[in-house]
This record gives sequence, structure tokens and C-alpha cells, in this order.
Amino acid sequence: MSATYILVAGDARIGNLVATAVGTSITAVVVGDRGVAEAVAASGVEKVVWLGDPGATPLEAFAGQVAALTAAARPDLVLAPSRPADLVLAGAVAARLSAPVYTMASAVRVADGAVEIDRSVFGGIARETLRIHGPVVVIGDGGEVGTDGGAPIEEVTGAPATTISVIETLPPEHAPVDLSKARRIVSTGRGLKDQGDLSITARLGEALDAELACSRPLAEGVGWFRRDRYVGVTGQKVTPDLYVAVGISGQLQHVVGARGARVIVVINSDEKCPYFGEADYCVVGDLYELVPALTAALTEAN
Amino acid sequence: MRIAVAYKWAPNPQDALVGSDGSVDWRHAKAGVSEYDPVAIALGRSLADASGAELVGLSVGGPDVASPMAKKSALARGLDRAVVVADASLQGLGATETALLLAALVEKIGDVDVVLTGDSSIDEGSRMVPTVLAGALGWPALTDVRSVSGTAGDLSVERNHRGGSQVLRLTGPAVLAAAVDAVVPGVPGVRDILAAGKKPVEEVALTALVRRELGSSVERVRIAGPEVRDRKRRMIEGSDAAVAAHEIVAALRADGVI
Ligand SMILES: Cc1cc2nc3c(=O)[nH]c(=O)nc-3n(C[C@H](O)[C@H](O)[C@H](O)COP(=O)(O)OP(=O)(O)OC[C@H]3O[C@@H](n4cnc5c(N)ncnc54)[C@H](O)[C@@H]3O)c2cc1C
Repeated sequence: MSATYILVAGDARIGNLVATAVGTSITAVVVGDRGVAEAVAASGVEKVVWLGDPGATPLEAFAGQVAALTAAARPDLVLAPSRPADLVLAGAVAARLSAPVYTMASAVRVADGAVEIDRSVFGGIARETLRIHGPVVVIGDGGEVGTDGGAPIEEVTGAPATTISVIETLPPEHAPVDLSKARRIVSTGRGLKDQGDLSITARLGEALDAELACSRPLAEGVGWFRRDRYVGVTGQKVTPDLYVAVGISGQLQHVVGARGARVIVVINSDEKCPYFGEADYCVVGDLYELVPALTAALTEAN
Repeated sequence: MRIAVAYKWAPNPQDALVGSDGSVDWRHAKAGVSEYDPVAIALGRSLADASGAELVGLSVGGPDVASPMAKKSALARGLDRAVVVADASLQGLGATETALLLAALVEKIGDVDVVLTGDSSIDEGSRMVPTVLAGALGWPALTDVRSVSGTAGDLSVERNHRGGSQVLRLTGPAVLAAAVDAVVPGVPGVRDILAAGKKPVEEVALTALVRRELGSSVERVRIAGPEVRDRKRRMIEGSDAAVAAHEIVAALRADGVI
């Protein structure tokens, strides 16, 4: 049977990865506290290798040890969730195995001593299927915590020799937002001129009973939105019934995050904006007039 | 101290033409210093200025990487010099191969204390090059880095961490990937571009590097166009906002989404 290693750094949500690797012998390598190792052990894996309580050591510092023990097992497939510390573990493993690493995979099949991957390429402009002989590292959406079985936990002790130490950790100011289950979303882009104007899209959001989202520059740029509210290839992937994009040009890296929406409305003053190519309703005009008018029409209709 | 910045010379996939069969034609897509790499260069410049370090740009890729245009664009952003590997066989390399080559380049130039990178590249966007590079060098990697200060062997790094932030101390070499909004890089002016023309660029031949090959064989068995739903693409003229608004409401009603 083929062997899969799943790398976990401090967060047990790996349900999707376990599902991907069903039919192979799955070992999870866990960095983080015992609670994480225990939750992973109850996720349908065969075995957990736990690197012991990290204490105050940053999880990334374990990358070398994770790489050494994973490479020694020569797995056919290595999976890791797309979260920052996990990517560091995955990078170290890929380097140690000289294995290619792929992101944006929609399907992974293990058969006949090869791994086949369907993935989108160049931010989503095309797709490819690759067949890989030899070890390969695939990064995927971790999904939820699994609930299946109680795999044995093997503890590997020995803290890493590290040159990184944590001086201070500031917790998040807000609880994380999950837009993946939102049914309606109003998303704002750089077409909005001023932070004070956000009330315009916020009112549309209220009228539609929608979650508010944005393009990346509004979160990681001007900081008008929190980071977990931007949609796109590096941001959230959303699948609402309705996605209203206001003043968003439709650069690929944004668009791919909302391709799963049932109906897409794009409001943009530029009739040539790329987003119109992937929208159901392409509303050409000034958002400063259209959005309040739409809000009023919805309120009136209710 | 010597600070290296890995940068990529890459086109924006938005400008590529994609056939319905999934073939990608890059001829009309102009390459540039990849979107987020100027952030890493700017971060490196501040650290170098504050510590008296040298700032070296590193890039590997196809022949374009050594074009006068590519060299000037990168150097004008504040590098002291650049070392590049440009070879036709390196066009379109994946993350692992790119990172293994960058590691070989870091080892070749020697005495590097920190490697900075952008968050992700505009074309591949995998975010894996910094982490594989760190793995290949046996150095720690930290991503989403907001600021760096200090000197070699005693660096203070602030990064985004689980929705909050974290300050860390580094007493050895490391690879640091910059958060996309760590700094807002300035646009190079005429003076920067003129100065860039006089800065040294070393081209290293691929054969001069101790290169590690991929341990796996990769075969592309199928290509296809993007998975895109058929959209209605109905144009709604918005010069009379109230009329347009009623048209949208009626359409969304008919679609059953409101
Ligand atoms: C590796 C990588 C990853 C990325 N990941 C993401 C991601 O996950 N998510 C993301 O969103 N972006 C991402 N980006 C950035 C992306 O490429 C775009 O830069 C970004 O999405 C553009 O945001 P925007 O559409 O709001 O701004 P712009 O492109 O500036 O568009 C503003 C739009 O507003 C319109 N407008 C202006 N005034 C008005 C008005 N009065 N009324 C109506 N319309 C108006 C304009 O016509 C224009 O179309 C990524 C980039 C890279 C390189």
C-alpha cells in the first residue's frame, strides 16, 4: 500500500486531507500541544507521530525534525494544509526529499506507484493533470477536524536546537470570520475612494442581509477591512448564492475566490473591466449612485 | 552583514491568452519584478541602511532574467547589486526547483545572514519558495513578516500570527517572507533608474552551481481551460441608477437569490 504523511502544525483541522488520502496508509506528523495530537489521532489516520509539547518554541522551529523523520519514511505522498506554519513544515520536507510541491490541487489520486494531481495553474487561468513518480508534496485546504477512530500516538522527544524565540505574542483583536458559509456577500474594491464611504456598501449589505467582504488591497493595503474578509486566491474561497462585487476590477487573483458563487453581480464604471467577463449582471456605472439606488430598491421591495 | 532578496521576473497571468484547450500563450504578457517582491526589497533596504549591510538581489529563471530591462527594474528598487542565473532550461521552473537553485546561489555567494522574499509570485503564487529555500539551507523560515530590525545574529522580527501578531528574536540566519503590506514600496524615479544602470550584476552559469535535481519525475498528462461557470453576462446600463436598480432587483428575484 502507498504511504501518505500528513503534516500538522498546531491546528487539527485536516479532515479534507485525510479524505484525499483514503486507501493509503496515513501517518500524521504533529507539531503542537497534546490536544492537537489527540484530535488528529481521532481523524481517521493510522498513526500519529507527535513531536512533544513545544512549550514556548515557535512551531516552525520543528521543521528540520519533521523533514528528517518524514524523509526517512520515504512516503509516496505528503499532504499539508494551507496554513502558514504548516507551509514551513511542508517546505522543509520538500527540500529534504527534493520533491516537487503543488498548491491549488482539486483532486489527488494515488495509484500504481504514481500520484496524479488535478490542479489549476497560474492563479486559475488553466488546469493541468500531472502524474508524478517519486515523492510529491501537495498543499490543500485542511477542512474540518475529522472524527474517526483512535490512532496510536508515538511521541518523539527532543526539543529542536533553534535560533528563534518568541518575545511577545499579541492575540487577534476579533474572533476569526468564516465567509465560506455565507449565503450572500457584498464585496468592496478599490473603486471606493474613501474609508468613510464604506457605509454605502455596508448599507447594501444590510438590505441584502449579506456578509461584507473585499478585495485584497482593502484589507492588506489600506486596512479598511480585516484580513480574514478578503476574497481570492490567497484570501477566502466563497460559494454564496449571491456575490455582489462593487468597484472590483476582476483581477484573476480575486475572481477565483468567488467562482463558486451561484449569481454574480458586478458594479463597475469601466465597461471593459475584466470582471464583466465572469459576471451574470454587469452593471456599468458609478457605484456612488448605483449602490444607494440598489439599497433603496431592495428596501422598498421588502 | 549581507542581506539577500530573492526576486522573480514574471508576467501577470491576467495578460496571457488561454486557449479553450488550456494552452497558455504568454507572448502578450509583459514580465516585471513580481508584484510583491518590491516589498521584500524595500524591507531589505531599510534593514541594510540601518545596519550598514550589503543588499544583494538573487534571481533564477529564463534568459529574460538577465535582460537589461529586468536587471534595471530590480536594481532601481534599491538593491546594491544582483546575482542572477539565466538559462533557457530554467523557464517556468516549479517552486522546489527554483528554491533549490536559489539555495545553491545563496551558498555560492556566501556570508548571507538573511534571505528576504515576497509573499508569493504573481504567476505561480504558491508561497512555497521561501519555505523550501529555508529547508534546503537548513535555516528557519518565518512568513507574513511585517518588520525586521537589528544585526546579524540578533534580529528582531515582527510577523502576523493567527489573526494577531508576534515578535520573535533570531540569533542565526533565516529566510523571511514579507507580508504583502509590510511596507509600501516607492515607485523608482529617474535617478534610481539611472543609478541602476551603474550597479554590478553578476551572471552565474548554471554549470557553476552545485545543483540538486528533483527526486521525482513529473509528467503532464492533460491540460484544460479554467473551470468557469457559464455566466449570463447581461449588461445593465447604469446611467439612470434607479432604473438599473429595479432591473437588478427583478433579475435577482427571478433567479431566486433574494
Ligand atoms: C500572488 C498574488 C495573490 C493575490 N491574491 C489576491 C486575493 O486573494 N484577493 C484579491 O482580491 N486580490 C489578490 N491579489 C491582488 C489582485 O491582483 C488585484 O490587485 C486586486 O484584486 C485588485 O483589487 P480591486 O479590484 O479592488 O482594485 P482595482 O484593480 O484598482 O479595481 C478598482 C475598480 O474599481 C472601478 N471603479 C473606480 N471607480 C469607480 C466608481 N466610482 N464606480 C464603479 N466602479 C469604479 C474601476 O473601474 C476598477 O475596475 C493578488 C495578487 C497577487 C500578485
